[in-house]
Amino acid sequence: MMENIIFALIGLVFGYLMAILFQRKKASPAYKPPQPDVGQPQHANRSLQQYARPSQDLSSLEERIWYEAELEFLFKFEERLSSAFGFQDVVKRITEAAHDFLPIERAVFLTWDKDSEKFTLACAIGWKSDHNQESLPIGKDSISGYVVHNREFLVVSDLAQEQYLCSLDKEEYLQKTFISAPLIFRNEVLGVLHVCDKKIPGPFSQREVAVVMDIVRMGAISLQNVLLHEKASKRAVELKIAYDELKQMQEKLIQSEKLKAIGQLASGVAHEMRNPLGIIMQGVTYLEQIISPEAEEPRETLSMLKDSAQRADKIVNSLLNYSRHAKLELYPENIEAILENSLNLVKRELKKIEVVKEIQKDMPKVLVDKSKIMQVFINLFMNAIHAMPETGRITMRSFVKELEEAINSINERSVYSFEAGEKVVIVEIEDSGTGITEENLKRIFDPFFTTKEPGKGTGLGLSVIRNIIIMHKGLIEVRSQVNKGTKIIITLKISKEKGGG
Amino acid sequence: MDKKKILIIDDEPHFCKLVKKNIEQIGGFEVYTATNGEEGIRLAKEIRPGLILLDVVMPEMDGVEVLSRIKGEESIKNTPVVFLTGIIKEEEAGIQASFSGGYSFLAKTVTVGELIACISKNIR
Repeated sequence: MMENIIFALIGLVFGYLMAILFQRKKASPAYKPPQPDVGQPQHANRSLQQYARPSQDLSSLEERIWYEAELEFLFKFEERLSSAFGFQDVVKRITEAAHDFLPIERAVFLTWDKDSEKFTLACAIGWKSDHNQESLPIGKDSISGYVVHNREFLVVSDLAQEQYLCSLDKEEYLQKTFISAPLIFRNEVLGVLHVCDKKIPGPFSQREVAVVMDIVRMGAISLQNVLLHEKASKRAVELKIAYDELKQMQEKLIQSEKLKAIGQLASGVAHEMRNPLGIIMQGVTYLEQIISPEAEEPRETLSMLKDSAQRADKIVNSLLNYSRHAKLELYPENIEAILENSLNLVKRELKKIEVVKEIQKDMPKVLVDKSKIMQVFINLFMNAIHAMPETGRITMRSFVKELEEAINSINERSVYSFEAGEKVVIVEIEDSGTGITEENLKRIFDPFFTTKEPGKGTGLGLSVIRNIIIMHKGLIEVRSQVNKGTKIIITLKISKEKGGG
Repeated sequence: MDKKKILIIDDEPHFCKLVKKNIEQIGGFEVYTATNGEEGIRLAKEIRPGLILLDVVMPEMDGVEVLSRIKGEESIKNTPVVFLTGIIKEEEAGIQASFSGGYSFLAKTVTVGELIACISKNIR
């Protein structure tokens, strides 16, 4: 009996004390627990000790129910956060968690960008807004601004009574009671969670405040993780692009160095070849002069020797041409006329091959060395003719094109570029011949690469053609399909001189 | 009428010998040969040729140096020089523009007909 009375008395005294405490809290300008900064354990500990939650008196049923509910909530919240995908998803789950667990009308999440000093409405539950995902015109003089700049955790039980806060622009909230909690990680504010308007009138309890603190603390870690992950992913993509570009450039450089080395070697070999070849040719000439005209067989032999020596000399000439850094004689020229002249020179070889001309009228002039470009076209026509032993069709096409994107050319001789939007002259020579296999297509510009029978080609044709085009700061591309045909596409710069238009 | 004198300076003795034979076969020319620059200049001063056929790439003294030495010798400085060489472009041989006139370029694989035509055009 006495025990009951004593317990009742203690209960009364405790209740009275709590009431006094509560009154004081209500009268204070704002209930401001220190910020829940997980990056600084000291703060976290202090806030836990002073404000986190009342002592766990699990003897009361209400306490036990609350305690279990809270534990379950935090456990689920942690689970939901860890399965979130991306920044926006984490924000949504934080806001949902606050709205689901606390008896409130709405929960609003604003993200904070410290560089632009702007808030963005990232998520709102129970509040319809036209500003979703927009940056908001909220200044330092707002409640959100106050929370972010002072890094304070605001618990307001009745806004009307908070004189200081009332002087702030409170248009952003229409509610009377709210908790504004900053999400802070390593001293950086990531955003603000607003928990607004209790469904049952009255101030927020300490337990509710503690739950909000737990939400923002766990949420801040998750947000930071997601931010770091997003940053890392972005960086990885950037690195991959940079690596690919570097690799491509390296491959081009290796290729151009290879070609340069071959060119130097070729030049040296060609030069050395001329000496013995000269001796052979002089010797053959001498023998031709002294052998009697009737000696048919020796004369035939000499003729074969002479032919072979001359063929060898042609190869040497091609080699020297290949390696020679000859100067171009550049003049504004009419590409159509060069095409026609080149075609005229191979006319006799065309036989049953049909030629289709698709040349745009009144094209601007190109700045080229006429004889070199003719050499290119003649070689390309001859290649096309060789690809069509019986019959077929050569299409020679030329037109002006505006480049969609910039093109950089890095080769063994020079580096140059075309700008996006630059107008260029395109020349295409297309045949309906045997085509080139994918494997051969890769090597088509290599010096000495040939698919012709021994003695039929020196294998210098396309590499020489490529060099001439490069010397003109142009581009050459080969597209081919086996048994369908081959198309050579040449891009040339338009002459900027007067009369070039 | 005296035969016109031609001097060949080339480090390949076989080449010298065969070119000499072929030119002399045509008639009207007397051909001398030297297989290095030093000997060539000495011989040139001695015989005063109407034309010199000169190789570019030679050990010790190359054709460009030989030409510059010839230009410095009062008695032979106006002798026409035809480079007969594996290289046929002037810029590659490194011939300076300061050598004003008096020389042509032919490939070593030139036919005898072209060679005679070039000699006839340039010889004094």
